[in-house]
Amino acid sequence: MEFGWTDEDLAFRRELKEFLEQTLPDNWEEMSKDGPGSDVQVEYSKEFCPKLAERGWLTQNWPTEYGGRDASAWRHIILGEEMWRIGDPRSSQYMNVNWVGPTIMKFGTDEQKNQHLPPISRGEAFWCQGFSEPEAGSDLVSLRTLAIRDGGDYVVNGSKIWTSYVNHAQYCFLLVRTDPESKRHKGISVLLTPMNLPGIEVREIPSIVGERYFFEVFFSDVRVPTSCRLGPENEGWNVVTYSLAFERVGAPRYARAALVLDELADLARERGMLEDSRLLGKLGEARSLCEASRLLTYRVIDLREKGQPPSADTNLARVAGTMAERAVSELAFEIFGPEALEYGHSAEAHYRLAMTAGVAVGTTEVNLNLIANRFLGLPKE
Amino acid sequence: MDFDLNEEQQAVLAAVGQLLAQRAGAGRAIELAKKSEYDGELEAALSQSGFLDVALDEEMGFLEAVLVTEAVSAAAGVVSIGAQVLVAPGLLRRNLPGPVAVTTLGHRGPVRFGAHARTLLLDAGDEARWIELDPTKTEPVRSNFGYPMGRIEIDPIAGESLGPGSGATLRNWWRLAIAAEAVGSMGSALDVTVAYVKQRHQFGRAIGSFQAIQHRLAQCAVLREATRWMVYEAAYKGAPADATATVAAYATKAADQIFAETHQLTGAMGFTREHDLHVWSMRLQALRLEAGGIYGHQRAAAQARWLGR
Repeated sequence: MEFGWTDEDLAFRRELKEFLEQTLPDNWEEMSKDGPGSDVQVEYSKEFCPKLAERGWLTQNWPTEYGGRDASAWRHIILGEEMWRIGDPRSSQYMNVNWVGPTIMKFGTDEQKNQHLPPISRGEAFWCQGFSEPEAGSDLVSLRTLAIRDGGDYVVNGSKIWTSYVNHAQYCFLLVRTDPESKRHKGISVLLTPMNLPGIEVREIPSIVGERYFFEVFFSDVRVPTSCRLGPENEGWNVVTYSLAFERVGAPRYARAALVLDELADLARERGMLEDSRLLGKLGEARSLCEASRLLTYRVIDLREKGQPPSADTNLARVAGTMAERAVSELAFEIFGPEALEYGHSAEAHYRLAMTAGVAVGTTEVNLNLIANRFLGLPKE
Repeated sequence: MDFDLNEEQQAVLAAVGQLLAQRAGAGRAIELAKKSEYDGELEAALSQSGFLDVALDEEMGFLEAVLVTEAVSAAAGVVSIGAQVLVAPGLLRRNLPGPVAVTTLGHRGPVRFGAHARTLLLDAGDEARWIELDPTKTEPVRSNFGYPMGRIEIDPIAGESLGPGSGATLRNWWRLAIAAEAVGSMGSALDVTVAYVKQRHQFGRAIGSFQAIQHRLAQCAVLREATRWMVYEAAYKGAPADATATVAAYATKAADQIFAETHQLTGAMGFTREHDLHVWSMRLQALRLEAGGIYGHQRAAAQARWLGR
């Protein structure tokens, strides 16, 4: 056991910070206030991600044969921390590197790998995740979107909901039921679905979280070639489980929470608020929650680096991340007071991001269920 | 970065685990508590096998020392393990025979191991003091909180000053020790509670199958696991002020929550001396009140991070 960074990793973080300082536009903070899915950020990522790719940083933790540099999973989390803490200029492309690409590497055919991996590693690919449905949220295995084989195609009918980033997506990592008689985990397949196929309709769901954040996607007799199926037919649940393990710690939320917290503390000091010992204590508590989340996430990265299978450590990390974000966003309100009521104010922007943490990528309750069953060995209800 | 134990660390844990299985445990802690006794035999055995010297051992260090501290606490050993294995070596760069007590100048109330301690490490503000205790200046105090407690009459100019700034060094190691001991106690308190809810049937099923109970224990697991890694990292870094205050803040808050949840979920049985839970749970409360307590650690964490003190 040891907790130090290598000199190379430290140098990489330094270089990355310098690069960000030189590269990001002066009004980046303003640009990023609507979140990674906003039109502005998506557009900017088209310029930004290729620059990361040029330096070999975008997919550096991938194997060289897929456009990576065989770098460690630790390199990837350093990149993730430095990106996410400033509002992720990669926009939705962070998902590609985190879980879309690795899942295709694991389960894809050579053709699928050749088609999808190079654009991701060049920083040109836009994906969305077609998992949740109106009747399948936390209980994802009750999904109903049907894909019936007809010749060389699947004919897809159904709808997906809460689909972030779909408005710019070229492809959807789509979960469907390929066996209409099946129930629960069986009979599910994954289709790497081009979003330009006829019969796909996208509608925005206006929300309080940010602009262009949530969408609904409707599939009406959409013909998806069977060659788009990732992994064996009806065995898609394994694929999903694999991708989720990567996704749950995909966005290092603690990194942003810790940065916001540092800014809050600076401001509180400028305003003479650190004389208030109660507030000082709350800042310390929030700091401890950020650190807890960081270390639990690092444990997951450690397992990934060692090629070990996804474990309940992922769920522990996710729950801790949500706790940290909440604590920091509460403090932002407390320190800024009514100033936080203005849209786009830094406290407001952080609160908006933080309030989704316990719901996105599997609710806190689902994560707690998994911890209870897999980590503590408690029987299923 | 590597979160797995190396071979040497595994060997240390296996060996200390074997020793503890023979010489410690809840049953022995309960027996000793009846007369508020210190476990001199356990300390001698740990010492003889070299487990009290790991921090300054050339081949090992403070990471191994927190592993030993955690293990001894998980086995409810009635020895001043944190003070001996972490605080003394961290502060003095030498080992001290036990029992060792640690307290703050101006502290009110009983001190862990206060009636038995031969040595007192005193946080006197800017400086720390190393005091050989006069047994006539200490007296046992009856306490429900899992450790033999005693009152110490402190002479602020007794013993040896460890120099300007040594108070801060003492506090750093003391906070790490508290958190490391809390990790062991939290783990065992949770283990016995998980075992209990698996076998306790009500409404025709194990109560551990109810989601309302599972979620609360899962939350506790998050707290305990996070504390563990934070302790290891802080030890690896040599107990800097920010990391130790931060982990102590987290650990003591976690200890308080785990106390409340484990007792709630074990019902009336958990309050009895027949059930082992109290051996660890009551210790958690003693730990969380030490060295300034939750709010003191939280403020110290903020001060270290943002005020440079």
